[in-house]
Amino acid sequence: MNDALAELPRLALAHLQLSLAGLALALALSLPLGVAASRRPRRGAAALGAASVVQTIPSLALLAIMVPLLAQIGFLPAWIALTLYAALPILRNTVAGIAGVPPALREAACGVGMTPAQQLRRVELPLALPVIVAGVRTAAVWTVGTATLSTPVGAASLGNLIFSGLQTRNEASVVVGCVAAALLALGLDQTIGQLERGVRERSPARRRVAAALLCAVVAFAGGAFAWDRLAPARAPIRIGAKPFTEQYVLGELLAAFLEHETGRPAVTLRNLGSTVLFDALESGEIDAYVDYSGTLWATILGREGAPPARAEVLAEVARALESRGVHVAAALGFENTYALALRRDRAEALGVRRIGDLVPHAASLEIGGDYEWFQRAEWRALVAGYGLAFRATRTMDPTLMYAAVAGGDVDVIAAYSSDGRIAAYELAVLEDDRGVIPPYDAVVLTGPALAARAPDAVEALGRLAGAIDGAAMRRMNLAVDRDGRSPRDVARAFLGDGV
Amino acid sequence: MGTLGRVILLQGLVKRYGASLALDGVSLEVARGECVFLVGASGCGKTTTLKTVNRLVEPDAGRVMVGGRDVRESIPHELRRRIGYAFQQVGLFPHLTVAENVGITPALLGWERPRIDARVDELLERMELAPGSFRARLPHELSGGQAQRVGLARALAAEPELLLLDEPFGALDPTTRGRLQQDFQRLRGELGLTVLFVSHDMAEALLLADRIAVMDAGRVVQLGTPRELLAAPADARVAALLETLRRQNARVDELLGASA
Repeated sequence: MNDALAELPRLALAHLQLSLAGLALALALSLPLGVAASRRPRRGAAALGAASVVQTIPSLALLAIMVPLLAQIGFLPAWIALTLYAALPILRNTVAGIAGVPPALREAACGVGMTPAQQLRRVELPLALPVIVAGVRTAAVWTVGTATLSTPVGAASLGNLIFSGLQTRNEASVVVGCVAAALLALGLDQTIGQLERGVRERSPARRRVAAALLCAVVAFAGGAFAWDRLAPARAPIRIGAKPFTEQYVLGELLAAFLEHETGRPAVTLRNLGSTVLFDALESGEIDAYVDYSGTLWATILGREGAPPARAEVLAEVARALESRGVHVAAALGFENTYALALRRDRAEALGVRRIGDLVPHAASLEIGGDYEWFQRAEWRALVAGYGLAFRATRTMDPTLMYAAVAGGDVDVIAAYSSDGRIAAYELAVLEDDRGVIPPYDAVVLTGPALAARAPDAVEALGRLAGAIDGAAMRRMNLAVDRDGRSPRDVARAFLGDGV
Repeated sequence: MGTLGRVILLQGLVKRYGASLALDGVSLEVARGECVFLVGASGCGKTTTLKTVNRLVEPDAGRVMVGGRDVRESIPHELRRRIGYAFQQVGLFPHLTVAENVGITPALLGWERPRIDARVDELLERMELAPGSFRARLPHELSGGQAQRVGLARALAAEPELLLLDEPFGALDPTTRGRLQQDFQRLRGELGLTVLFVSHDMAEALLLADRIAVMDAGRVVQLGTPRELLAAPADARVAALLETLRRQNARVDELLGASA
């Protein structure tokens, strides 16, 4: 709870910046487009149709698709997606509002001698204003709501609290994120509403207060944004993290370690996908994150077939990444491999200890895995290497996976070997007897931008080599997953007595 | 009638809307200071004829001259600022006060604020709408008759010499209508206005018009003074319009006589 509240001001500000930027750009595009559309009905129908199609794309998908389209993560893809999302209600209401102006008033406007531009400015827009503002208010609420989904594309928002809270079973964090987003939406909606009421009722006081409030919010959000962007020297070191507990802990651990060792500020960006993270590291949008040698071997280097020994994989990965400007700063000293796990009593009943033992039973079993698992090279290697054919596969959130197998919803899961929940849920891990799954040494990667900007930080991260063994990592994971402690607390506690 | 004395000249106007012919060769002249009525049943083309004068309607054929110039040579909004226009739906801008509605055309012409204010007050007084109580009202706070007066004041605001009125006293109760008609007659005399007036009410036309153009199916079927029309209706349609009026009046007289 305290952790969530500590992060709230920064995330609420980022959320507000993102929402206002999306809303402002949507307004700047939709308003002229709406006016043009009301002049040319056929073109208007086409614009409305296009906006409606965008609207049918699920918001999370729209945000996600922007990452490959723009080839970057962070503010820009989230901004563009939110803009597209907010455009429809504004466009639709602008067209409807102008179309709703009574013909007698158009005739009067024309008859008293207004030019077409004057008719628009003095009659059509003022009369359409309540309808247009209703559209802007709808768009504002949608935008603030949808902005919570920008976390997975690497833009900070109140969604960080929600996603991380769901992942670490920190309900307080989820509630804080949701309530803050709701209050933000309501506040923005009301401010715009009061402004419109002030204009409509010719109440200068109400208009001035609302306009001043809106200006202050925009100036503050915009100013803070510019302050961050225009001064890269002040910009904190950005640590990425994938969407699971161990990554949160390691992200906080790297950030706290860097702040302590170099005095530079560091922030974490959570809940990014593996390949998104690597691309972001290469392009300098994040500075460091922890990945696993086996993942890099299979996913980034695209190697298929049986991997060599642990040390060789590590050496080969380091060499290959160096040529792409990415540096392996340290191997942390523990492995987190994908491992097939099932309930211990079930394993004993079936008599399976190795993956090979599972082959005759597979046809009657269902396997669960995280969002990436069934697309990964390791899954294909497992299927091909053992001739495994499961009855069904099911993709699920990693948080739910362990409870699902313990509760019997699925029979087998692709677990993370360092996960504390394997012990907590009394699961048995099957041995990879044919050595199909590559070793997964946790390694700290740093990108070219950090090497150029802060070589001392890269050097400091090198001192983490061998600092965390498997037992320590499992303890930290369990402290979060079972005991409900925050990743930040756990990481700081480890650094306090460890390094 | 000399060219200078002729404010409006319509020559052979034709206007089609799809398959239907709204104007089928309309020609008409309105002299300076004259009040000409266009009367006829709905759909006879009287409103369409009126709107060709300030280019709210562009005819397919024919010529419209205002003040000796072809209207096609002038910029539409500049032409309209010189011509007063009021119509039955009034069309007061609901988001503007009475004063702002009346002062709109002067404002568009770039008059100084004090001159606009003075002109608005003068017109409101003429319309018997006390400026002190009416200036700041919004249109929804006016009765139907008051709104029609404000509409008329708006049409007169920029001191036009030519006024186009399309049923300006329509949809009013008979008492208000009668008073407004009297006010209009007085104003016209004082300001020396040239007026083209559309009405479907033959009684109104006989009372207010210098000349009346009776229209039917996009044509002017008779043009003359009220006396000429009453004395010699050109055809059965004109006769029917007048006959209806005579019968009504006779019936009213009879009732009035009976009750006296």
